Amino acid sequence: MLIKLIFSILILVFLQSCGQDNHIRTYQLAKTKAPVNKPRVETPEKNSTGFSWTKPGSWIASSGSSMRLASFDVPFSGGMGDLSVIQLGGTGGSIEANVNRWRRQLNLDSQSLFEIEKEMIDYKGGLGDYKIIRIINEELDSAFLCAILPAGNQTLFVKLSASPKGIREIETDFISFCSSLIISI
Amino acid sequence: MRIKDIINFLKQPKIFVFAIIWMMMLVVLGTLAQKDMGLYAAQNRYFSAWVIWFWFIPMPGGRLTLIIILINLSFFFFKKSIWKIKKLGIVILHLGGILLLVGGGLTAMFSSEGNMVIEESAQSNHVEDYHFMELAIINTSASSFDEFTIFDQPLLKRNQVLAHANLNFEIEIINYLENCEPTKRNSPAGIQHKGMLKKFMLSELKPEKEDNWNRPGMIYKISNSGTNADGMYGIFLGQPISQTVSVNNKDYTIILRRKRTYLPFSIELLDFKKILHPGTDIPKSYSSDINLIENGAVRKILIQMNEPLRHKGYTFFQSSFIEGPNSETTVLAVVKNYGRLFPYISSIIMCIGLLFHLSQKLPDLFRKSKEKIAV
Repeated sequence: MLIKLIFSILILVFLQSCGQDNHIRTYQLAKTKAPVNKPRVETPEKNSTGFSWTKPGSWIASSGSSMRLASFDVPFSGGMGDLSVIQLGGTGGSIEANVNRWRRQLNLDSQSLFEIEKEMIDYKGGLGDYKIIRIINEELDSAFLCAILPAGNQTLFVKLSASPKGIREIETDFISFCSSLIISI
Repeated sequence: MRIKDIINFLKQPKIFVFAIIWMMMLVVLGTLAQKDMGLYAAQNRYFSAWVIWFWFIPMPGGRLTLIIILINLSFFFFKKSIWKIKKLGIVILHLGGILLLVGGGLTAMFSSEGNMVIEESAQSNHVEDYHFMELAIINTSASSFDEFTIFDQPLLKRNQVLAHANLNFEIEIINYLENCEPTKRNSPAGIQHKGMLKKFMLSELKPEKEDNWNRPGMIYKISNSGTNADGMYGIFLGQPISQTVSVNNKDYTIILRRKRTYLPFSIELLDFKKILHPGTDIPKSYSSDINLIENGAVRKILIQMNEPLRHKGYTFFQSSFIEGPNSETTVLAVVKNYGRLFPYISSIIMCIGLLFHLSQKLPDLFRKSKEKIAV
């Protein structure tokens, strides 16, 4: 009797799970009002790189090098920062290798992956989840603000080079820029 | 007689012992595999699977193993010898274990999780799934409402034909790509290519380690519309410009998006706050001031780290945020878990069982130790 009961329950559970969803749904929703457009800093830029972004009006496109997808001169109260966008295939090397390369450029000792991940902050943008890290050498009065953005089978590296004060001033615009990056068609 | 044999077989404690050892091995294997294959894939391969293939050898997956444990524990109650007051603690303990497994089953079958992304002063009433996609075909012809026809992920596979009475055409999926990227065409597209496929192709990429890093895409053919909308189209997740087609004076927008679950209430983000550690730029805490809007009633609530909002079976956790030039956007992780309370209840039941068993055994233990001392 008990066995019959158990098997009946199991069959009911299976039947319930089979019939719960036929995978096609229909519904109606009231038309959403067009969002009120807040004044944005700039409209997204389309270009030949395969990516679009929205950058603050104060940033000035610069020539950079052939390695770079884009370069900007980024003014702040104490001078001018340099922002580069580089695209590499795959993951472009591990997080540990890339961050420690940047740290060496600032004469800082390498860190373990655990220490690096503690300092990384997660954000979500047009390309999905990405990470940002601040690397600061107060003695040299130099700092980097770096973002690693996975984009399908490629990775974008956005690096801002400025003074520690400049990094703090530009950080919000930097995050907005990174979050605005999307694949353009 | 046969039934008795089956019961005798199923109630053997050996089954539990072997199953629990195998489950421990699966936990170790799954944890190690997670590093290389990612959390979601490891969870699917080791814990949510019925069968795991080690090369050509099939072994029970986590789901099957736990069901075996559940059946074995259930058949424990067929033992006549346990229905004594002396064994009451053990019976309660087994009941707690069964309840824990039933809760796990409910979670596995019916729970859902996703994201709710809301910009300051905007509202949202839907959750986007982390893993599952849907193809939404939206008839935008009516002036006051949009009519949605949604095809869920299980239907999004190669050679599947999608049709519905709401639609004046059929969609045949030529290829569904788990991960892809749009690449520019080097040569002119064929006359059959429409929309983004005129200038772009979708190139298949190797799936990423973490499932939500993938950008799924689809090549599909619209047919039987009787108009020039018939042709081959492409679509991918996050496509900035949605594909629109016009068939018999009806306008349709076609979007591949994360599966949406609409909630019976809305959430409006009033303010997102990020508090920094004093004198640093290091965030100390994040919080979202929200309005919970339900049937016209508005309730102001604060969601912050470790203090989620629980409402109508949904739990909203402060998960992340997006900083914009003019406003901030909060990202809430939304979980609906019918089995949420089961671990707590079953743990309490198992504790009661253990305490009961211990209280019954203590007099014997004291007596034995006294006898030892006397000897």
